[in-house]
Amino acid sequence: MSDPLLELDDVYKSYGEEQVLSGVSFEMDAGDVDVVIGPSGSGKSTMLRCVNRLTEINGGAIYLNGECVTDADTDVNELRKQVGMVFQDFNLFAHLTALGNVTLGLRKVRGIDKAAAQEQGYEHLEQVGLLDQADSYPAELSGGQKQRVGIARALAMDPKLLLFDEPTSALDPELVGEVVEVMRDLAAEGITMLVVSHEMGFARSAASDIIFLDDGEIVEHGPPEQLFENPQAARTGEFLSRLETTHEGE
Amino acid sequence: MPPLPLQSDWAFVVGNLDLLLVGTGVTVALTAASILLGFLLGFPAGAVEVYGRGPLKRAVETAGVVLRGTPLLVIIILLFFGLSVSSSAFVTATIALGLRSAAYQSQIFRGALQSVDEGQLEAARAVGMGRLQAIRSVVVPQALRRSVPGFQNEFTIVLKDTSIAIVIGLGELLTVGQNLYQGGQSTAALEIFLTVSLIYFVLTFVTNRSLDYVDDHFSIPGGERA
Ligand SMILES: Nc1ncnc2c1ncn2[C@@H]1O[C@H](COP(=O)(O)OP(=O)(O)OP(=O)(O)O)[C@@H](O)[C@H]1O
Ligand SMILES: [Mg+2]
Repeated sequence: MSDPLLELDDVYKSYGEEQVLSGVSFEMDAGDVDVVIGPSGSGKSTMLRCVNRLTEINGGAIYLNGECVTDADTDVNELRKQVGMVFQDFNLFAHLTALGNVTLGLRKVRGIDKAAAQEQGYEHLEQVGLLDQADSYPAELSGGQKQRVGIARALAMDPKLLLFDEPTSALDPELVGEVVEVMRDLAAEGITMLVVSHEMGFARSAASDIIFLDDGEIVEHGPPEQLFENPQAARTGEFLSRLETTHEGE
Repeated sequence: MPPLPLQSDWAFVVGNLDLLLVGTGVTVALTAASILLGFLLGFPAGAVEVYGRGPLKRAVETAGVVLRGTPLLVIIILLFFGLSVSSSAFVTATIALGLRSAAYQSQIFRGALQSVDEGQLEAARAVGMGRLQAIRSVVVPQALRRSVPGFQNEFTIVLKDTSIAIVIGLGELLTVGQNLYQGGQSTAALEIFLTVSLIYFVLTFVTNRSLDYVDDHFSIPGGERA
């Protein structure tokens, strides 16, 4: 039996007095797409950031392919080469073109020469449907295009796992679709993704599992049909019905 | 019959234009050397103020406060007559102007580095870049662009302040003008100093225009100007 691709084992995180994650545990296999939902402040972003160690945990452990990555002697840069991240606010490098954004990591981290990096960069831009915008700077792109560049930038490092932190919540509603479509394609290609998102269409159609996080704890974890149609915990049901009312007006 | 005074005074200036141009050359060289020294010290100092910690950071901050709080005239006199850092007036003036400029340039760069949003640094770290690498490849190029307007200002200030080197007898533009006048060969004070002013003006004007060009040339398409 092989190890899960990602395992969080009783992870704790606090900021000073404030307990943000309180014993979070779950596993993902290669090819899984898990969608994390939960109220604002419940610790969703913190959980993602613990996985690539933009934030350090205070207790428990995280394993990637069976290897503990939260030890003090783990090389964080090695870890991050294997775990891509897509941000809510895109965080594109403002001084570089779309192609430059995608190739910077290849060149500086992987040490690939310019021509080869560009060749790969074009492939990844094509994957997100932005080949024609390769020479555009972030300020010249729409929100949806920026986020697709953000996805291409993460893909370029050929990660084992992709983390998405609310990738569509900074977008105008009419631009959400193009990003969700790209994410669906990636899911279909078998890329392992851990996605914080309240995009229910995506969650229903692409998720292997839904994780409902509330107040730093996983309240419920299961396949979308079960979690959405037949939630086991009262808190899950309440959250979902609130989510429906807030999203109806959109 | 003596020639008209006006004629003779301008003729005196024209006749000594070669000396004034030599002084202009010294002024330009002193400006360039001082700005360069100021950049070489000021850029790292700004970076230390943003990214450093501990005693190094405190030392850099203190040096900056002291230098910015001391009149340039005092710095240059102290270095030349008090500490005799060099027998060369040019070298001493370069050190004085360079140090003072470093203290101001460090603040230009500090502000520029801080203005690049944290998220980009985080994104660079997230693809596996080390902290230094991420700062160098992502933050510094943007910060340098944003420094151009402040740098433009600093450049003109240094250029004009090179005239302070007159107190240690360096043969820069103002000193040459002063010598021409005090040589007692002429009553052309107004004409000489107007000419000197005009040369300073042309230098600052050309510098500003050149840096405007740099600003445009390096601005990021679709975004802010440099
Ligand atoms: N760097 C930090 N320092 C201090 N507290 C923090 C920090 N980051 C997050 N927190 C706190 O941790 C808690 C969880 O934050 P987190 O961003 O993980 O929530 P979230 O579920 O992603 O919320 P949202 O849906 O609003 O993005 C919040 O109370 C937040 O204030
Ligand atoms: Mg969040």
